[in-house]
Amino acid sequence: MSDVAQPFSLNRIGTLVAKDVNLYFRDRFYAFITVLTMVFFVAVYFLLPRTAEDTLTLGIYAPVMPSRLAQVLADEGVVLQAWPSEDALRAAVAAGDVQAGLVFPADLTQQIMAGKKPQVRLYLTAGLPPELRDMYPLVVRELAFLIGGRSLEIETQTDVLGPDLAGRPLAPRQRMLPLLAVFVLLMETLGLASLISNEIETGTLRALLVTPVRVPDLFLSKGIVGVGLAFGQAVILIAITGGLSRQPLIILLALLLGAAMVTGLAFLVASVARDFMSVIGYGMLALIALAIPGVAVALPGFISGWVRGLPSYYLVDAVHRVINFEAGWADVGFNLVALAGFAALFVALGILALRRRFA
Amino acid sequence: MSQPAIIAENLTYRYGQLTAVDHISFTVAEGEILGFLGPNGAGKSTTVKMLTGQLRPKEGKATVLGLDVARHPKQVQAQIGVCFEFTNLYEQMTGRDNLILFARLFGVKDFDPDALLKRVGLDGRGKDLVATYSKGMKQRLMVARALVNRPRVLFLDEPTEGLDPASAVAIRNIILEERARGATVFLTTHDMMEADKLSDRVAFINQGVIVALDTPHALKQRYGQRRLRAQVATADGSLATREIVLDRPETAAEMQALFAQEQVITVHSEEATLEDIFIDITGRGLT
Repeated sequence: MSDVAQPFSLNRIGTLVAKDVNLYFRDRFYAFITVLTMVFFVAVYFLLPRTAEDTLTLGIYAPVMPSRLAQVLADEGVVLQAWPSEDALRAAVAAGDVQAGLVFPADLTQQIMAGKKPQVRLYLTAGLPPELRDMYPLVVRELAFLIGGRSLEIETQTDVLGPDLAGRPLAPRQRMLPLLAVFVLLMETLGLASLISNEIETGTLRALLVTPVRVPDLFLSKGIVGVGLAFGQAVILIAITGGLSRQPLIILLALLLGAAMVTGLAFLVASVARDFMSVIGYGMLALIALAIPGVAVALPGFISGWVRGLPSYYLVDAVHRVINFEAGWADVGFNLVALAGFAALFVALGILALRRRFA
Repeated sequence: MSQPAIIAENLTYRYGQLTAVDHISFTVAEGEILGFLGPNGAGKSTTVKMLTGQLRPKEGKATVLGLDVARHPKQVQAQIGVCFEFTNLYEQMTGRDNLILFARLFGVKDFDPDALLKRVGLDGRGKDLVATYSKGMKQRLMVARALVNRPRVLFLDEPTEGLDPASAVAIRNIILEERARGATVFLTTHDMMEADKLSDRVAFINQGVIVALDTPHALKQRYGQRRLRAQVATADGSLATREIVLDRPETAAEMQALFAQEQVITVHSEEATLEDIFIDITGRGLT
C-alpha cells in the first residue's frame, strides 16, 4: 500500500518501461524500421562523397540589378543566386548556405559610365579551398565583363566570414550528417506515437489505469522509452560517423534535447492519431517539416532564413557547427537554450493533449 | 455488523445533456455477489466506471472498502480487480507475461502465473501470444488478470457475453470460488439466467435509475407469476400448449377442467424469469 501512495514508483515505472521496450521490439515493423533506419543512414553517410565538389555557388546582391546580370541569373546553367539584402547575403555566406557572396554598389552602372573604378565586396564562406578562393575574384571580373560588355576596372574587397577552415572544405557527407541525425530522431516519433495510440485504441491503457499506475507514471515511462530509443540511435549514428570526436558533451546534450523534443511530438501525434495509418500521416507531416533545416544544411542555398523558425533548426545548426566548424559552448549556447525551450514546449503540449485522451 | 464493501450514495453521471446514471443508491455487503442487470445503455458500465475510479461522479459519492473512490482512487484500485466489458489485453505478449506485468504493477510478491492460468483453464497456453487465443480464452485471461492481486472486490463487466458454454461455465465457477474466498463481486450483465444463478441479490437498472433491488427469489415472489404449462393432444393428433396461472382463486377449477376435458401429455410448473420481471417493471426487454 505504501507504494500506491507514492506519486512516482520506480517499481511501476521500471515495469512499464520494460513492457514498452518489449512491445516496441515485438512489433516487427518498428523493430525492422529501427534497425533499417540505422543501417540505411550510416550507409548513406559513407556512400556520400568524402570530398567537397568544386561547384561555384555565388550569391549576389545588387541594389539596382544590371540588365545583363539579370540575364545571367536567368540562365539556368550558371549557379548564381540573387539575395534581397547585403545582410541576408552575409548571413547566408556565414552559415555556409552559399560559398561566396558578391555585393555591387547601388551606382555601379553610373560609376562604370563615368569611367570610375567601382568597388565590389566579395564575401567568402569559411573552409573554401585555396583554389576556390582564388577563383572567385576571377568570376567577379567575368561577371563585370558580362555586365559591361568589355573588360572593366573594378576593385574587389574580399572578406572571409565564419571560422577559418582554409584548406578543409566541407564534404557532402558532413553536410548530410545533421539531417541524418534528425531523421533518426524523428523516426522514433512514429514508433512511440504508434505504441501509445495502439494502447489507447485497444484499451490496454485503461486496464493499466485501474491498477496503482498513475497518469504521471505513464508519461514518465513513455518519456523514458521515447527519449532513450531516439537518443540511443542518434548517438550510435553520430559515434559511428565520427561526430563525437569534437565537443562530445555539446553533441550529446543537443541530441538529448532533440530526443526530448521528438518525444513531445510523439505525444502530440498520439493524441490525434486513431490508428497506424493516421500515425504515419500525422507523423510524416511533422517529419517533413522538421527535416527542412537539415536539408538546408545539406543543400546550402536551397532554403532561406525562414528555416530558423523551425524548432529542429537549432538542433541541426548546433550539430552542424560543432561537427563541421568546431564550434564551442559559446557559439551554440543560444541554440541549446532555444532547443531546450522547444523541447519543454513540445513535451508540455504533448502531455496536455494526451491527458485528454487518457481521460 | 461489518461495513458494506460498496456504498453508492446518489451516484450520478452525465455525458453532456444525457444523464447516464441518475442518483442511484445501494450497498453491497462483503462476500456478496450483486448482479447488476439492465439493457445496453442503461448505465451499467458508467456505474462500474464510477465505482472503480475511472470516472468521477458528477453528483453523489461512491465508497469502496471504506474509501471514497473519487478522493482515493489509487488506494481503492490497489484492492480491487476489474474485468472490462471488452477485451483489452496485450495481444503481442504471452498470456503469462500479461499476468506477470499486472502482478508487478500491483506489487504482488511471489506471484505464480502458472497456478492462475491453470485455475482459469489456460494451463499449457501461457507461453503463447494472446493474439493466438480464441475469444473464450481471452475472456478467461481477462478474468485471471482481474485476480492477480487477490482483490477484495471484483468488478466483472459482462464477463461471459458471447462466450461458448464451456468458457462461460468456467468463468461462473471462478466467480463462485471468489465469493467462497470472501471477495465481494459486482457482476454487470444483461444475461438474466447468469444473474439468477450467481447473484445473492440483483439490481435492475433502466435509463440510469435502479428500479428494483432484491434477491432473485424475492423479486420473483413479489413481481412474478407461477404458471402451469401443459402439453395436450388435440383431435387431429397434433400437440398444443395450455397455460394456467397459479396462486389465484380460480386456479383449482381451471386445472380440474384441463384434466377432465383434454388429453394431457406433459405438465410443468414454471417460475417467472428475471427477464419477465424486468419487462413487467420497465416495459422493455434486457437486450
